[in-house]
Amino acid sequence: MKQKSRGVILALIPFALMVLAFQLVPVLSMLTGSFQKADGTGLTLGNYLHALQSAYYMQAIKNSLLISLTSSLIGIIVGLFCAYCITRFTPRVRDRLLMLSNMTSNFAGVPLAFAYIILLGNNGVFTLLFKQWGWSVFTDFDLYSWSGLILVYVYFQVPLALLLLYPSFYGIREQWREAASLLGAGPWQFWKTIGLPILTPAIFGTLGILFANAMGAYATAYALVGGNYNLLAVRIGSLVAGDVVTQPEMGSTLAVLLGLTTILAVYLNHLMVRRTERFGAKALSKPDVKTKSSRRLWTAASEEVGQ
Amino acid sequence: MNDYLKLQGILKMFGETCVLDNIDLEIREGELVTLLGPSGCGKSTLLRCIAGLSELDGGRILLENKDLANLPPRKREVGMVFQSYALFPNLTVSQNIEYGMKMRGLSKAARRSRCEELLVLVDLEEKRDVYPQSLSGGQQQRVALARSLAVQPKVLLLDEPLSALDAKIRKNLRAEIRDIQKRFNMTTLFVTHDQEEALILSDRICIMNGGRIVQDGTPEGLYTAPRTEFVARFMGSYNVLTRPEVMALFHGIDSGMDSFAIRPEAVTLLHDGAGQQEAAAGAQLVNGVIKSVSVLGNIIRCTVEAEGIRLTVDLLNDGRWLGAREGDKVTLALNPSELLHLEREGA
Amino acid sequence: MNIRKAGFAPRTFMLMLMVYLLLPLLATGIYAFAQDWQNTLLPQAWTLNWFGEMFKDIRFLEALWTSLYLCLISVVLSLAVMLPAVFVITIYFPRWESFMKVIVVLPYAVPGVVAAVGLIRTYSSGLFDIAGTAYLLVGAYFVVILPYMYQGIRNSLLTVNAVELLHAAELLGARRRTAFMNVILPNIWPGVIVSTLLSFSVLFGEFVLTNMLVGGHIQTIQVYLYQRMGESGHLASAIAISYFLFILVLSMVLMKLGKKMGGGVKG
Repeated sequence: MKQKSRGVILALIPFALMVLAFQLVPVLSMLTGSFQKADGTGLTLGNYLHALQSAYYMQAIKNSLLISLTSSLIGIIVGLFCAYCITRFTPRVRDRLLMLSNMTSNFAGVPLAFAYIILLGNNGVFTLLFKQWGWSVFTDFDLYSWSGLILVYVYFQVPLALLLLYPSFYGIREQWREAASLLGAGPWQFWKTIGLPILTPAIFGTLGILFANAMGAYATAYALVGGNYNLLAVRIGSLVAGDVVTQPEMGSTLAVLLGLTTILAVYLNHLMVRRTERFGAKALSKPDVKTKSSRRLWTAASEEVGQ
Repeated sequence: MNDYLKLQGILKMFGETCVLDNIDLEIREGELVTLLGPSGCGKSTLLRCIAGLSELDGGRILLENKDLANLPPRKREVGMVFQSYALFPNLTVSQNIEYGMKMRGLSKAARRSRCEELLVLVDLEEKRDVYPQSLSGGQQQRVALARSLAVQPKVLLLDEPLSALDAKIRKNLRAEIRDIQKRFNMTTLFVTHDQEEALILSDRICIMNGGRIVQDGTPEGLYTAPRTEFVARFMGSYNVLTRPEVMALFHGIDSGMDSFAIRPEAVTLLHDGAGQQEAAAGAQLVNGVIKSVSVLGNIIRCTVEAEGIRLTVDLLNDGRWLGAREGDKVTLALNPSELLHLEREGA
Repeated sequence: MNIRKAGFAPRTFMLMLMVYLLLPLLATGIYAFAQDWQNTLLPQAWTLNWFGEMFKDIRFLEALWTSLYLCLISVVLSLAVMLPAVFVITIYFPRWESFMKVIVVLPYAVPGVVAAVGLIRTYSSGLFDIAGTAYLLVGAYFVVILPYMYQGIRNSLLTVNAVELLHAAELLGARRRTAFMNVILPNIWPGVIVSTLLSFSVLFGEFVLTNMLVGGHIQTIQVYLYQRMGESGHLASAIAISYFLFILVLSMVLMKLGKKMGGGVKG
């Protein structure tokens, strides 16, 4: 008995140490850092006050929120349609399409920003082509503005939304559709009264993940606009590891604020997932939930890291 | 306008296979017709074609002389109850029941009152604001029934509605369905693979096999006079005999058929050596040995081997044969008039 | 269930999506092979020069090597630590299920930037001054791939019914540790390989932590790409495309292995 527990503890120690050293302690350090004065003497709320009063930092927060929200909304609407479409295919075709979609997530981050610069930058191929063809609507488009950022963000939001949403469509049983049509409902009425309400928890949950994903995106933004556009993630980066004088305490403060938004968004997702379970394992029974959903979040999360 | 629902030459292919092969059927208003058959015989497919959920490759469906061919399901005035209930999980019981009425634009008051009527009918008044997930299978099915009836369809289709339920609930619900059907004079098509269910519920039974209607008649007619071997085997524990077997038991037969059947309760079990009375009345006496005895409640089922042939013999459990054992010697009295001549399946 | 082929609308829509997703890739690819590409639909001249330059660039080869060995070390370390840990947690403490859910969403809840801040703060000074070193990066990488390794190993254990296998082995007289080595490990190996490869490709594409923690001293492929981006577009395209192709091949292998594993074990 005793021997068993000793071996068990032994196996857990390296794991616990690593998690402690590289996850927990840094987070704590960041938290305490946010409350410290710049000269290192004592605790204060000053950093937070400064952050919330500074026009500069508030703008960063505002920009990030705006871009994250917009790209998430666009991502989810497009993703919803794509998810619906993809369930109309045979499993083989569907899996191929998903594979393609996930494959492109490997491109996210620096390469993605770069590709868009090639296409739509100041000397981008499309930019010059549009100029040549006289399509002024598009030539006025500035890749390095908030609309450009949203466009690029949508690129990695849509596959994520697609991946997270499409399984929920299988939870909408064909027989509900048939029953509804026999009772007089047209396709649009069905989706309005039955389909979308059932999907709503999944939609909001995915929205949460998308939002957190966008808020935390660093690589893409950094490679695209660097410090020229005021985004929270990039701002934090420059405060902590920038070329100019660093302000680690402010960096910590802003990081805590950023972390709060992402954690909140993810918590929303958690609540929504619980809501879907309310519609019953009976109603939404699809086999293999464990392995399938995990694989989903794996490949989904990999996109996040590329940011 | 005798035939309320007419199916003419219904044809449906699935790839190379013929799933529904030239089906003709006429149903009168208010009749409950059961489609009975093994899985894969096409009965559910036929139902779905009538509902408009599957497309036909040939034939016509006429409801009150109106061709349903180009109508989508929601315009056919056909109601359907599914085996898996298919209740909308995000709506309460009353919202489910009111759904069809809502789609048709009825006022809230009208919907509410009709919903109440139906809740009383299916005995689920206290459950009106409950979600389907917290109901039992039987309750869910009752809601499904109420939901279909709410829009007053012309024809009600029931696709194995009781198959997913426990035996006891099945019996009760069966009776309820029949009650409601009679009360509304609702023309109903009922699909099942359970012949007992079919016998109890129906005004008429259509036995299907391989996409065709093999025999069609009243429960009694079908049970006492099966036309083919398939029907005989399907409707209960008929003893199906080949020509040589019949020759062995009856010492001669005046028929050209190759297949015969005799009901297990038409074989009289007598003690060894007895049977003079029966023989005088024209029965054939055969000696046999009991191979097994099962007490099925009010029936005792024995398997008796006579002339090398195994026969199933059913007796009423009235105490006369208590103590019958495997290995006992018995005499069987077989009445030639009880012998049915069958067509071979596929002929 | 849905045997009928998808209608016109879904097919068009998905086609549009695929075009949209592949466009940047295509553009980068073309740019990598183009001599010059200004304002025409396709480049006027093609060349392999950029690739030649790339392979001759010492820094590229060094960055490639750095990426490879850093990712490899991180993954191996992670395996060595996670395998026993996840095994123990799954078998002995199955009730830490809710803990699992937190782990899975870590990449979203605590994005790279936030993690970097904490890491820099902790390890910049004092006792553990490993800032700017590979050690810090490997540690950070460990946390990055934690969710994937955890889930991968755990799911493999659950799929092969590790608990039952273990009990069977014990009834036959094996000690826990031996049972783990001889019975469990071989059975979960395919699933573990899949998550290892996934983790590897995730790390290979990692930028934020690398750039913020060691960007100046250590160059991975991503960091190198970023630096070259500003210098020469064509060269950068060549790098980007090569990197992508490498990951693509890796993913294919992952896919094949995943199929083999999924086919072999019926959950």
